[in-house]
Amino acid sequence: MSTIRRLAVVVLAGFAIVLPAAPARAQGPASAPGPFDSPLAKVITCAACHGVNGNSRSDAMPIIAGMDAAYFKKQVQAYAGGARPSPEMGPYSKQILDIGVDEVAAFFAGQRMEPTPVKVDPAAVERGRVAAAACVACHGPAGKADPAKRTPALAGQAPGYLRDQIRLFKQDARNPGEAALAAVKAVMKTVPDERIPDIAAYYSSLR
Amino acid sequence: MSELTRRGFLRTGSAALAGAVAAGGLSGCASTKGETQPTGKRRVVVIGGGWGGATAAKYVRIGDPSIEVVLLEPNRQFISCPFSNLVLAGLRNIESLSFGYEGLRKRGVQVRHEMALAVEPDTKRVRLASGYLSYDRLIVSPGVDFQWELVEGLPAAKETVLHAWKAGPQTVQLARQIQAMPDGGVFVLTVPPVAYRCPPGPYERISLVAWYLKANKPRSKLIVLDANPNIVSKTALFREAWKAYPNIDYRATNRVVAVDTSTREVRTEFDRVKYDVLNLIPPQRAGQIAVDAGLTGADNRWCEVNHVTYESVKQPRIHVIGDATTGLPVPKSGNVANNMGKISAIAAVALLGDRPVQLLAPGNTCYSWVSNTEAIAVVNAYKIEGGKVVQIEQRLTPAQNASVAARAEGWTQSIWTDVIG
Repeated sequence: MSTIRRLAVVVLAGFAIVLPAAPARAQGPASAPGPFDSPLAKVITCAACHGVNGNSRSDAMPIIAGMDAAYFKKQVQAYAGGARPSPEMGPYSKQILDIGVDEVAAFFAGQRMEPTPVKVDPAAVERGRVAAAACVACHGPAGKADPAKRTPALAGQAPGYLRDQIRLFKQDARNPGEAALAAVKAVMKTVPDERIPDIAAYYSSLR
Repeated sequence: MSELTRRGFLRTGSAALAGAVAAGGLSGCASTKGETQPTGKRRVVVIGGGWGGATAAKYVRIGDPSIEVVLLEPNRQFISCPFSNLVLAGLRNIESLSFGYEGLRKRGVQVRHEMALAVEPDTKRVRLASGYLSYDRLIVSPGVDFQWELVEGLPAAKETVLHAWKAGPQTVQLARQIQAMPDGGVFVLTVPPVAYRCPPGPYERISLVAWYLKANKPRSKLIVLDANPNIVSKTALFREAWKAYPNIDYRATNRVVAVDTSTREVRTEFDRVKYDVLNLIPPQRAGQIAVDAGLTGADNRWCEVNHVTYESVKQPRIHVIGDATTGLPVPKSGNVANNMGKISAIAAVALLGDRPVQLLAPGNTCYSWVSNTEAIAVVNAYKIEGGKVVQIEQRLTPAQNASVAARAEGWTQSIWTDVIG
């Protein structure tokens, strides 16, 4: 019996127990599995903010398509535990843990990330390029993800989201007291507030 | 029964029905109008192309493109209720909230701009002006209709006393009335008793109209007659926001019982209040088609459903979603309707394919604007426990700010695409 088949039987058995009044299903062989007999069904609540398959097209909501699965899981746990305060992701992270964070993380890791379509001012990008000199040590010149360092992809990310996160790091409001993030926060403290949107614009412009 | 046999059975059943129609035995419908039968396919009919129905139609097609999907929606455009309060404050135009149904058509949904006149659960048909439409599964997303009769004088005045509670022409009319009101004029808004569509919606509207009046008509005031004992949703956050609006005169437990357009006044159980511009949001119930189809409960207002499949507890093979539902611990919001659209579509596809139904819970993300630049939010996450939707957690934004407003904008971009794109 395949894993999917076995899972289906388990789910069905659970369904029969908890829902005795559930509608009777027609007898006979089941149809072939469809797109929703997969983790796709488990991420239905995410699209309202994060877009189709995690590719948010807006300024403020982060793109989560293509995100490293281990990084994704760590963030969900941080939201659920309160280390990353968010009125939106606080509740939803707990829903993800209830559904199965590994499956959800694997789903988004498997999606192709499409860079943000949000346009940024070229002058801001240029200022950001200069101001981001200190960021390269961890994020590299291209702003790509580095799972070994647990750094996420910044290139092509939504600029408004990057701006908000830089501010949270600077204020030590994101994962306060976490030793692994002490370096990034020390760097952020040296960045003047008016340069923060520039750095965000620069990284969002990278492809 | 094998798939093939079952389809054969459906065809046979439909043929018998068509014969009955031809004989004038059902409703006297001419045989040339006849009924539209599934052409060997399974068919899902969706009634209502709002947040729930449009999403459901799209997701049935994504789940199984071999299923024929017919969406019945009289309006040619989807107009978003969320963000429509911004139109009243002159901060958005209605066009920016309006979308055609081309996106759904591209996905193979047959969008028909027709009114579903009746549902016949026994024969699994929907009656239209042009004939009948048979279904294997029906998803009803009827939205709300108004209980005009509960306010004396309102049934006769419902064309002129605006609700603007279904985004569209009334939204634009109310915006014009507010703009045309002289400085010093009184705007009266009445909040219906729970349950109604969009619990924080009236209070967002109050905030935005108060912001507009403060900026443009500083001598005007806004009297709120709330049928409820307190602000229904995001209470503390709205109270905080209203500190900036001394032009709001909020009166709790003031249910409007009558309106008189000749004297321009509304009457509550205790009081008479004069208005220059009136926004009377009437008491609500499930859309008429749900009541007529016997989908509502003993209260004749709302529809009880299975929490996993959204099938009606009253009628088999009929799913009910969105604001019309009751019994789940969820608000009547666009976000919830969108989620119910997906879950019911996934369940309908599974049930039609004789596959196990998955246990999926909705979520609710609900932003409210409190000024031209700032917003607040409430978020609810749910799970399925013992076959029921159970809340995991509710959280509010700690304060109003521009960052929440930016995320509200982001939410609309994503969710409008999800519903109608």
